[in-house]
Amino acid sequence: MTGCSLGFINPLSVLENPGTTAGDFYARNFEKKAQPGRVILNLGPQHPSTHGVLRVLCELDGEYVARCEPILGYLHRMHEKMGEVKTPWQFLPNLGRVDYLHPLAWNWAFVGAAEKLAGLTVPPRAEWLRIISCELNRISSHLLWWGAFVMDLGGFTPILYAFEEREKINDILQIITGSRLTMANFRFGGVCADGDARFFKLIQEFIPYLRERLKMYQGLVTDNVILRRRLEGVGPIDVDLCQRYGATGPILRAAGLPRDLRVDYPYGYYDQVELTIPTGPVNDSFGRYLVRLAEIETSLSIVERALKVIPDGPIIMEKAPKVSWKLPAGESYMAVEGARGQINVHLVSDGGKTPYRVKLRAPGFSNLSLFAEAAKGTLLADAIAILGSLDLVIPEIDR
Amino acid sequence: MTDPDKWLTSWRSLGALSVSRHDLAKEGLTVSAFLPLAALIQAAQELKQARYSLLDISALEAKEGFVVTYHFDSLDQPARLAIRILAPKKKPLAPSLWSIFQGAEWHEREAADFFGLVFDGNPNLVPLLLPDPDEFTGPPPLRKAEADLAPVSKLGLLAQVEILDPDFGELLGLAQVSDSRGGQA
Repeated sequence: MTGCSLGFINPLSVLENPGTTAGDFYARNFEKKAQPGRVILNLGPQHPSTHGVLRVLCELDGEYVARCEPILGYLHRMHEKMGEVKTPWQFLPNLGRVDYLHPLAWNWAFVGAAEKLAGLTVPPRAEWLRIISCELNRISSHLLWWGAFVMDLGGFTPILYAFEEREKINDILQIITGSRLTMANFRFGGVCADGDARFFKLIQEFIPYLRERLKMYQGLVTDNVILRRRLEGVGPIDVDLCQRYGATGPILRAAGLPRDLRVDYPYGYYDQVELTIPTGPVNDSFGRYLVRLAEIETSLSIVERALKVIPDGPIIMEKAPKVSWKLPAGESYMAVEGARGQINVHLVSDGGKTPYRVKLRAPGFSNLSLFAEAAKGTLLADAIAILGSLDLVIPEIDR
Repeated sequence: MTDPDKWLTSWRSLGALSVSRHDLAKEGLTVSAFLPLAALIQAAQELKQARYSLLDISALEAKEGFVVTYHFDSLDQPARLAIRILAPKKKPLAPSLWSIFQGAEWHEREAADFFGLVFDGNPNLVPLLLPDPDEFTGPPPLRKAEADLAPVSKLGLLAQVEILDPDFGELLGLAQVSDSRGGQA
């Protein structure tokens, strides 16, 4: 696989005098530390394998990556500033736009932080609706990663299958969220819409359907010898690397640690759900692949359990906060297990109309930061495999 | 070591300015402390040895200066905690944790972008999320106007606090109060 993106500044240059080539600020900054004779490759930000708008500068020694540096910020929208100038209620739709693949986890992190701070209680039906929708959303996120990852490695067909299931999940979630991408149906003290009979019927049909399809994925992709040769032994990420960079989620679990916020700090009704945490048999790219596929099965069991126990009742607390609602003064830190790892919201309020500080901790941010070290010394094509195995969503990293 | 009390003891011996206990269910933390800038590296090293990892660096601007909160969690069991520093307005310089937790590089660059903080020892302190200095010359976007600044004592960062350094207590206006909530610290 070649990773050369034409058309951007300084796509490919052989260094004679490092630091003097006509690139932009970041290229010049990167080249300062490069050795003479090396090739600088500018990957992205418009290259398909960089999932949106990530740019990676690589110093190549032949076909090996001697050094690389991700350049961020192409999708930066300053969500944290918007959090400070809008009331909490007005800020809600932003959360669906931070990570468009798992928007409901971000909804939960912010709404949960505000609920903790203000001491709001959520009715049982709303808690279960949150779990059902958040887990279905996690499945759709993992499915899209699965398709896109295999496409990065050169297999085009699987993403078409992945989108077929994704559309079914979107059909279900559209009933209660009203949207198919930037979902924002969580409210302080509940959710905004209840599931009707069709909603529950579609989920009942979807669970056995996806289980059958997962078997097909196993034969079609997971056991495929080409995929295995591309992934096995590529990009091992051990616990030490995770610790030094703060990597969480499937990456940490593939490294062998059963850390999952749904078990460690159970929020909502996750303490009433039996949850097996898949951990990787191996910590390479293939291990991370296996962990995510196993998590789809875990999410299906959670949804199944939730459907059995969800009670009737209100979906939002009485006298739920309105648009002009003020947060009480204080601090809260809410952590939610997103599809990519720990989504944390640090909310600080001085009792004013808008929050004093909203810090959004994106899991992909820390997960990507270890890439430069993990990719060092690998083949360029393997670096692309490692990048894909990190499951990056750039809007979440750039915020 | 994941026992919160042991961390309080350790931070006291490092010369902590104040230590706080938190309600994990409400605030999402077990314990926290304000440390002097000089003790930050030592505290981070102890956390690393105890298998903690750095979750994020969350900065904010208050009346007295920049409060920089480092959130950590254990790799072995749920025991989230925070250490904080108060960087002065005039010279917002803090030591970098990069040599201990390499992931701190990006978190520090983000805080530098948004607040203009400077981290001593960060190997690549160039803009991360904001455009490069050739393009963007505005003030750090999360700095507040003087009139909008709140004092640290109003932000609930101290919870059940025990002030250990009288000068620090005086700076925050908490010299006489050992507990801002009325409980036993």
